[in-house]
Amino acid sequence: MMDVGRHPKINLLAYSEIEEITGYIGNFHVKVRKKARYVDEKACTACDECVKVCPVVMPDEHQLGLSTRKAIYMPFAQAVPASYLINMEDCLGNNPIACDKCAEVCDPKCIDFDQQDEFVEFDVGVAIVATGMYVCDPTILDEYRYTKYENVITSWEFEILTGPGYVTKGELLRPTDRKPPKNIAFIQCVGSRSEKRGNPYCSNICCMNTVKDTLFLKEHHPEIDCSVFYMDIRSFGKGYEELYKRSKAVGVKYIRGIPGDIVEDPKTKNLIVTVENTTTGKIEKHEFEMVVLSIGVIPRPETEQIQRALTLSKAPCGFLMETHYQLDPIDSPTGGVFLAGCCESPKDIKSSVIQASGAASRAETLLTTGKVKVEAITSTIIPDMCKACGICADACPYGSITVDRKAKTPAVVVEAACKGCGTCGAECRFDAIEMKHFTDRQIMAMIDAMFEEKPEEKICIFACNWCSYGGADLAGLSRMQYPPNGRIIRTMCSGRVDEKFIWHAFKKGAPVVLVSGCHFADCHYINANRWTQKRIEGMWNKLERKGIRPKRLQLEWISAAEAVKWTKVMHAVEDLRKTVTKEEIEETKKILSDKKKG
Amino acid sequence: MAEEVTFKCLRCGYEFKGTYDRKVPEERECPKCGSNSIRPLPKKKEK
Amino acid sequence: MAEELRIGVFVCECGINIAGTVDCDGLTEWAKTLPDVVFAIKNRYTCAEPGQQEIKQYIKEENLNRVVVASCTPRMHEPTFRRCCADAGLNPYLFEMANIREQCSWVHSDRKQATQKAKDIVKIAVAKARLLESQKELEVPVTQAALVVGGGIAGIQSSLDLADAGYQVWLVEKEPTIGGLMSYINKTFPTMD
Ligand code: SF4
Ligand code: SF4
Ligand code: SF4
Ligand code: SF4
Ligand SMILES: [Zn+2]
Repeated sequence: MMDVGRHPKINLLAYSEIEEITGYIGNFHVKVRKKARYVDEKACTACDECVKVCPVVMPDEHQLGLSTRKAIYMPFAQAVPASYLINMEDCLGNNPIACDKCAEVCDPKCIDFDQQDEFVEFDVGVAIVATGMYVCDPTILDEYRYTKYENVITSWEFEILTGPGYVTKGELLRPTDRKPPKNIAFIQCVGSRSEKRGNPYCSNICCMNTVKDTLFLKEHHPEIDCSVFYMDIRSFGKGYEELYKRSKAVGVKYIRGIPGDIVEDPKTKNLIVTVENTTTGKIEKHEFEMVVLSIGVIPRPETEQIQRALTLSKAPCGFLMETHYQLDPIDSPTGGVFLAGCCESPKDIKSSVIQASGAASRAETLLTTGKVKVEAITSTIIPDMCKACGICADACPYGSITVDRKAKTPAVVVEAACKGCGTCGAECRFDAIEMKHFTDRQIMAMIDAMFEEKPEEKICIFACNWCSYGGADLAGLSRMQYPPNGRIIRTMCSGRVDEKFIWHAFKKGAPVVLVSGCHFADCHYINANRWTQKRIEGMWNKLERKGIRPKRLQLEWISAAEAVKWTKVMHAVEDLRKTVTKEEIEETKKILSDKKKG
Repeated sequence: MAEEVTFKCLRCGYEFKGTYDRKVPEERECPKCGSNSIRPLPKKKEK
Repeated sequence: MAEELRIGVFVCECGINIAGTVDCDGLTEWAKTLPDVVFAIKNRYTCAEPGQQEIKQYIKEENLNRVVVASCTPRMHEPTFRRCCADAGLNPYLFEMANIREQCSWVHSDRKQATQKAKDIVKIAVAKARLLESQKELEVPVTQAALVVGGGIAGIQSSLDLADAGYQVWLVEKEPTIGGLMSYINKTFPTMD
C-alpha cells in the first residue's frame, strides 16, 4: 500500500469519484471529482495535534460505528495518502468563529475551510475496473434478530471487534456486558445460497473466513468454545482443507444444519439457537453467549456508476460480466477495459491478486503494442440520406454516434468506438447507415438465394454470432439431430435484423422467419437486443394488420450453451412451418406486393 | 408507463397477464412451453 | 469498378465429418454452376497446411477475387482462412465461409437432405461473396496511460504491476484512503498472518 503512495508512476486520486468517461479503446477521456478534504494532502505531517483539540466526537464509519473519531481525522493509522481530512457535515468550524480550533494548532497551516471539490481530467488508453465487493444486509434473515439482539453480530463486525485498530486491541468482548464470551457460534451462508432471500450464489469466501476466525479465537483464547453451523464447508483452495482440519483438531464443533431461529434469554442475554442437525436428523437447542452471522458478499453498490460510464454488462448475480467465462475471464465486453478482483465475482485475496496481475498484463499488451485494429464491420453514415432524426444515436449501446438534431447535420460515427452490432443500421428508417461486411444488399441477396427454390420448405433464421449461432454450433458438436429446413443468416447481433429483411423474406415466400439472439443478460452489445424485441413486437402488430399470421415470425433467445434449446426451437419452427400452406404463402406474397412497400 | 396487458405465446398459444412497459423491455418466456415469442396483445378499443 | 467476379469455392470433407453425410463431390460439381463461380475444388482437410496451400495456389493460378470455403463454423476458422487469403494477396474481407459441418453434416443424417441443405448453404454464401467488398481495418493509437478504478487489493496490485512496467497510472479511489476491505481484516487465510 505504501508503495502506491510513493510510486513515481502512480497518480493517486483518493476521496475521488469518476464523473464521466468518454471515448473508446486506446483513447478514453476521464473526468474525476476530487472531493475537498479541507486539509492539504501534501502539507499535512500527520502530527495529530488537530485531533486532540477537535471537540466533535462521531461514530467511526471505518469501524462500522463501533468506535469513534473526531470531525478531523485519519481513516486509520496506515492510511494512504497519510493525510487527515475534515468531514464538513460534522465540523462546527465552517464558520471560524464557531470553532477553528484545529486550524489554530496546525503548525504547517494546512487546514483550509474554503477548499472546493476539484476536477481532474486526463487521458488513458486502457482501464481496469477493480471496484470490489461489499457485505450484504443481514436484516433480510429476520429469524436471527440481528437488529434486536446486541450479541448477534456479523462476521464483518467480528473482524473489526477483533482487529488491532479497535479499542480492545484484538480482545473480543461481548457487546452486552463487555466480558469475553465463554462460547460463540458462527452461522454460515447468511444471505448466500438462497433462492428466496439474499443471494442465490455462494459467496465463496465466508466458509474459510469462519474457519480462520475460529482458529484466531482458539489461538488467543483456547477457553472459548466455538461452534459452526453450516450446510457444507467449502474449503477448495490450496491449504484450505488443512486449515479446516486444524480448526476441527483444536476443538471447534462443526454442526451440519442451518439454524431456523434465535431467541434471547432476557436475563442472561444468552442466545438460544434452534437447529435441525441434518447429520442426526434431530432438532437441537444450543445456548451461546454470542452469535456471529457469516454474511455473504455483494458487488460494491458504486460499481453501477462505473458500469454505466464504461458500458459494461452485469451478470444476473450483479457482478460484472467477463467476455467469456473460461477463455476470456478478464476482458470486459468493452474494448480496452479489464476486470480485476471482486467486482467480477466474490473471491479470496489470492484470486483477486491473480486476476489483478492478469488484468495489468492484458492492459500492458495493448499499451505495449501501441495501437489497436478495429475489425472492419463498423457502421458508416451516408450523409446524403441522413435526416438527422437521431434514432441511431439513441440505439447505439456504446454512444458511438452523435447527431445534432437541432442543426440537422448528418450523424457522425466514431468508428473506433463502434462494435459493429448493426442496431443503428436496422433502426435507421432512411437507409442512411451501411454496415460494413454485413450490408443490406448482401443480406437481401442471401435471402433471395435462400428462397430461389422451394421456398415453402425453408425457414429463414437470423442468428447472432455470439449466442444463437454458437448454440447452433454446439448442437452440431454434440451431434444433436433436428429437421434440415432451417437456413441461417449470421449477423453480429440480433439488433442488426432490419424489418426490411423480414418483409423481404416473407415477400420471397418464407413460411416462417425466426430471429434469434442472446438472452438479455448475455447480450454482447450491452442492450442491443432490447431493440430487437421492440422491433419484433412492432412487426407482430403490423403483420396482424396486414392479415398475416403474426406467429409466422418467431423470436427466441438462445445462448451459446443452449444446444438443447436450439434443437427444441428447430423442431418447433419446423412444426410451425408445416402449418403454413402454399396458398397462405401466395396470399402473403400478394398482400406484400399489392400494397405499397412494407 | 407500465400497464396490465395480456401476453400471448406465439408458439403454443398460451395467454397470461402481466405488466408491460414499452420503454423498459424485459426478457419474457412462456410459462408453458418456454418460448420467447411472447406478444403483448394490443388493447382492444373500448366502445 | 467493373471488375469481373471470379469466385472460387473450396469444399472441405473434414475427413468423414462432412463427407460422411454430405456428397462433397456432387456439391463441388454443383457449386461450379453458381453465378460467378469460376472454380471449385474439394479438399480432405482445408484448414490443414496442404488445404491452405491449395487455396493460396488457386487464388493466384485462377485469379480468384472472392473465396468461399464450405467447411466448419466461422467462429473457429474464419481467422485462419482470412489470414490465408491475405497471404495470397487477397483482401481478407473478400472471404466468406459456409458452415456445412456444425449446422449441417453433424445435425442431419439423411444424406440426400443434408446434401440439399449444404447446397443451399453454399449458394447463400456465394450470394454474399458476390457482394463482398475489400475493407481496411482502422488502426487507432493507444494512449500510454492507464486508469484503475478502485484502490482495494486488486486495484493496488494492478496499479503496481502497470507502474512497474513503466506506464503512467491514475488510481481513483472513492474513500479517503486506499486499502479497500483488506485494510479491515486482521488475519487472512490460509496462512493466518
Ligand atoms: S474546526 Fe472542525 S475539525 Fe477543526 S477542531 Fe473544530 S470541529 Fe474539529
Ligand atoms: S437514424 Fe438514420 S437518418 Fe436518423 S440520424 Fe441516424 S443515420 Fe441519420
Ligand atoms: S453498429 Fe452498433 S456499435 Fe456501431 S454505431 Fe451502430 S449501434 Fe453503435
Ligand atoms: S476446415 Fe473445418 S471442416 Fe475443414 S478440415 Fe478443417 S476443421 Fe474440418
Ligand atoms: Zn408457449
